[in-house]
Amino acid sequence: MQTDRRQPPDNHPKMYEETGCFDPNSMAEGGDDGISQSVKHHKEDDAAVSAIELELQKHLAFNVEDTHTQSISINSNTHSIHDPANQNHQILPPYEHSHSNWDSGVVSADHMGGFDQNENDQSQQSFINTDISSSFAQSQTPPLLNLLQFPRCTTSSMLPPNSSISFTNPDHHFPVPPPTSTDVLYDPLFHLNLPPQPQPPLFRELFQSIPHGYSFPASASRAAANSLFGEIGDERDATGAFYEDGDVGVHLDNRVLEFSRDLGCIGRRRETAGKPTKHFATERQRREQLNGKFKALKDLVPNPTKNDRASVVGDAIEYIKELLRTVNELKLLVEKKRCVRERRKRHRTEDDDEGMKPLVDPADQSYNSSLRSSWLQRKSKDTEVDVRIIDDEVTIKLVQRKKIDCLLFVSRVLDELQLDLHHVAGGHIGDYYSFLFNTKIYEGSSVYAGSIANKLIEVMDKQYAAVPPTSCAY
Amino acid sequence: MEFVGSASTQSCITQKRGRRVYGDDRDFKSKNLTAERRRREKLSNRLLTLRSLVPIITNMNKATIVEDAITYIEKLQMTVKVLSDQLLEMESSSEESERPRNDEINAAEEMKKHGIEEKVEVTNVDGCKLWIRIISKKKRSRITKFLEAMASHGFELSDTNVTTFKGATLISSCLNGVYSYKIEAEQVKELLQEIIKSI
Repeated sequence: MQTDRRQPPDNHPKMYEETGCFDPNSMAEGGDDGISQSVKHHKEDDAAVSAIELELQKHLAFNVEDTHTQSISINSNTHSIHDPANQNHQILPPYEHSHSNWDSGVVSADHMGGFDQNENDQSQQSFINTDISSSFAQSQTPPLLNLLQFPRCTTSSMLPPNSSISFTNPDHHFPVPPPTSTDVLYDPLFHLNLPPQPQPPLFRELFQSIPHGYSFPASASRAAANSLFGEIGDERDATGAFYEDGDVGVHLDNRVLEFSRDLGCIGRRRETAGKPTKHFATERQRREQLNGKFKALKDLVPNPTKNDRASVVGDAIEYIKELLRTVNELKLLVEKKRCVRERRKRHRTEDDDEGMKPLVDPADQSYNSSLRSSWLQRKSKDTEVDVRIIDDEVTIKLVQRKKIDCLLFVSRVLDELQLDLHHVAGGHIGDYYSFLFNTKIYEGSSVYAGSIANKLIEVMDKQYAAVPPTSCAY
Repeated sequence: MEFVGSASTQSCITQKRGRRVYGDDRDFKSKNLTAERRRREKLSNRLLTLRSLVPIITNMNKATIVEDAITYIEKLQMTVKVLSDQLLEMESSSEESERPRNDEINAAEEMKKHGIEEKVEVTNVDGCKLWIRIISKKKRSRITKFLEAMASHGFELSDTNVTTFKGATLISSCLNGVYSYKIEAEQVKELLQEIIKSI
């Protein structure tokens, strides 16, 4: 039966060409199938139509994932489902089968129009037509259509540009068309699973013939490529340069990558967002890429220490923790500021006595029950800064190497940042100056640890730059 | 060259050395093996920690851990930037409250309550070194002004300590003159008193 379906050309050459042996048709011709009967049964049943439609879409979605080599298994599936009764899902096997055949041939609904000529049962035809048209108007159609591109290239190397239109236009509806507009995309030999040797050069040609910006949906490529492109891997190396330029390379690259395990050289160009698999031609490329990532990580971190992988990762860990603390701190501050603002607005509108406005409103504290705390470390060439904030107290540890009047500058900076210096301790130790500053944040100021640290480093470095590098003796 | 996995370590070391020499070579290999293993474990542990921090993880191999970490760090940095810009914006549009005066009033009262008086002490320590000790009322940015004044007069302060207690500030420091000549303690004391009064 399967072979029967596969070879109706003898019986209905025209139909086969245009429809890729759409089953209900052939079965109607062939006679004893329950399918065609059930089709006729269902033609009046609108509810059934929609149910079928849904299931068809589901199955199509499933089928799109399969390679065409599995179409045979689908066929055997349909085989088993064929027999019996009046069930809605029975309509599916013909669709499945038709899908697999369409796989090897038809796509455009232009072909559906061809039915009219062959099928007397108009209502059945229109039912099938609308059904398929609506279901295939989905995005699943393009993958199918794309699938068909490949066999196409065995028969003709150049695709007519207008046929590609049917692929890229997802809104393409399938009206009942005049037969003359039919594009025959069917390759009668395709289903035989010919070895792909003749394909590669044509495939390349195919790529070149496709206008820039054209991109294959992944699923279709995946379906077709396993058989087609297994052999191309080696050739890719030679044509690697081709993929380097232009949009085509990128688009094709994505899709090609997703389906072929053998295309190692593509692995070089990886898409960063959401790419599921990478493939490398050599271990060396894999290592290089890994090293590149470590380097990128190192560049992100503010105070990179050693250059080996373990310490890069260690620094990254500390930095992530620090960033999380900073984010929390900032959120708290923004929240506080907002509360204060709202309180002020409220007071103003209520016409309170301005002078008696308490600064720490008990109501305010209920908003900020969490204690603000953060800790930050920053290093520059000659300066190390450690800033710790708990609630409104800031403790700054400063270590400096060269000899400048750091106290003065730091004090200035602290004034700018609205920090009230309470305690300073420290002095000259060996080559370094080390100080500990205990400060309080003035009410209303919203500095955060990062800003303090950065400002200090900035000022210190500026001063160092200003001082000529003479000996420390003064 | 990075080689992950102990199985390949043997071969890698052989390759590194270029020739196969047995006996002595074996000991060398085994020593290195332990160190190498430790190094790898260290890296592996750290990668695990990194992974535990990053909320969005896709696959579980080295490359993707690092990649996800990079993405996460960039995302956090963006968040920090956005929040701090927001804060800055709020800062600029908000009003400043008048705090300092209250502080000063309180400071003076506190000092009086506890019997602390303003004082300037200067002592000659060693040659041209003087030790100064100043107790003054705590005022906003007074310390800065004091330090600036010191710098402008050419005094160099070393071993400075500042502390605050009950509205009073105590500054103790060791003062070196810029010029090598000896400076009189009395002169300095008067100078300092003037300075304190002025700031």
